[in-house]
Amino acid sequence: MIEFIDIHKSFGPKRVLKGVSLTVDQGQVLYVIGSSGAGKSVLVKHLVGLLRPDSGRIILDGRDVTWLSEAEFYAVRKKCAMVFQNSTLFDSMSILDNVALPYRKHFRLSRDEASRRALDKLALVQMEDAARRFPGDLGDGLRKRVAIARALTLEPEFVIFDEPTTGLDPVAAANVDALIRSLRNDTGVTAIVVSHDLRSIFSVADRIAMIYDGNIRLDGTPQEFRASDDPVVSQFINGRADGPMKI
Amino acid sequence: MNGALEATLRAVGGPLVAVGRHVFDIYSVFAQVVTALLKGAVRWREVFRQAYLIGNRSLFFITVTLGFLGLISVYQVASQIQRILPDFTMMGPAFIQLMWREFAPTITGLMVATRVGSGIAAEIGSMVVTEQVDALRMCNADPVRYLIVPRTIASAVMLVMLTIYAVLVATLAGMALADVVFDVSPSTFVSLQLVSPRDVALGLVKAFSYGFWIPIVAGQAGLAASGGSAGVGWATTRAVVSSSFAVILLDFIISGIGYAVFNL
Repeated sequence: MIEFIDIHKSFGPKRVLKGVSLTVDQGQVLYVIGSSGAGKSVLVKHLVGLLRPDSGRIILDGRDVTWLSEAEFYAVRKKCAMVFQNSTLFDSMSILDNVALPYRKHFRLSRDEASRRALDKLALVQMEDAARRFPGDLGDGLRKRVAIARALTLEPEFVIFDEPTTGLDPVAAANVDALIRSLRNDTGVTAIVVSHDLRSIFSVADRIAMIYDGNIRLDGTPQEFRASDDPVVSQFINGRADGPMKI
Repeated sequence: MNGALEATLRAVGGPLVAVGRHVFDIYSVFAQVVTALLKGAVRWREVFRQAYLIGNRSLFFITVTLGFLGLISVYQVASQIQRILPDFTMMGPAFIQLMWREFAPTITGLMVATRVGSGIAAEIGSMVVTEQVDALRMCNADPVRYLIVPRTIASAVMLVMLTIYAVLVATLAGMALADVVFDVSPSTFVSLQLVSPRDVALGLVKAFSYGFWIPIVAGQAGLAASGGSAGVGWATTRAVVSSSFAVILLDFIISGIGYAVFNL
């Protein structure tokens, strides 16, 4: 279980998170939603130590990980993988080397053994045929699949997806959604998905938390979101231009 | 009155704090590089790749720059000698000594600071703003060890090589000009009578130091990039300014120590 407790975070004069508290239960797909710049990615990056809060605590399976050192965070990052918004594959490496990198760095495996295991992970996302190609040769949807394969190398318990369907065509986006669903169903992975893709949110989420104005506006099931009479929530999930939301 | 005092202190103190923070950040990267080197955590394949990019790819640039420097320096000095003391015997030896001690390492260092320093900052800065550095951290790959340490080793070694090459190029260019314009024979010009092993050592120590520090300063600028392409642009500018300044500062420090301690 993951607990974000009263997280505050500012960048210069801009207060992005103003006391966010959120719990993520084991085995569920939680969507963190909100408009661009609301602080969704900022919140989840605290879990893996890519950002540190100004105040507040992050508890992972009963252990306070808020102020771990960079070296101590490597164990957390084995447990919690992350798929970044733009896939962030390393352009100078082949697809195989990209996926093999966590094996070599986290487990100190030999190049051959890491490559063998990486091929298995690429097969999970039907990308083994592209192993020798480079990221620049692939479209956004395929790059996202490779990024997911890389995230799965460490057999994580939690996977953070940062806007996994942004910029993808509808078919590629639906494929990514299906991958997230199958991860939960087949491996029991807990997924935290940062998104504002409404189609994806309502087809995959077990639970949704909406961040607005630095706080959690509503935390509930998709049904509760659809039934909400909160004008801000209603404006967001119906994608209306006019309403009370501050942009 | 208090408001004016506060504004003045803020105007003076703000930039000082920013400079202090910048220097501390560079020191922090330096400490991480040294720690990685002491632990032997080096990606040698990447070191050789960077050595090619930093060294071989700079050859044309260094040939042109140091060639012209040799031509201009010899022309200016010879013109003065011709007016005052028309004896060119010591011009070549003094020129070669000056090249070893000062111009070859420092001009080469400045050239590498602009060409290589900007490249390092732009590459690492781009990786930061596209979250590739975060992805490295998620893969248990320390960004300083992974990105800056190989460049530091390659740059330190290749700057020594480039400096030796630069002395050769500048000397040949100067020799050619002295022969054609001032009728100084190559055998008179190319004399090592003023060049001691300590002059060579001083030049090579400078070259090694510049080569060691340029990727650290430029890499730190890249790691500090933020905010998209504009941030990468600022990081690149800062890398060129800071690494060029580092070369001048190191030149001053090493020359001073050489003079004060070793009587060079």
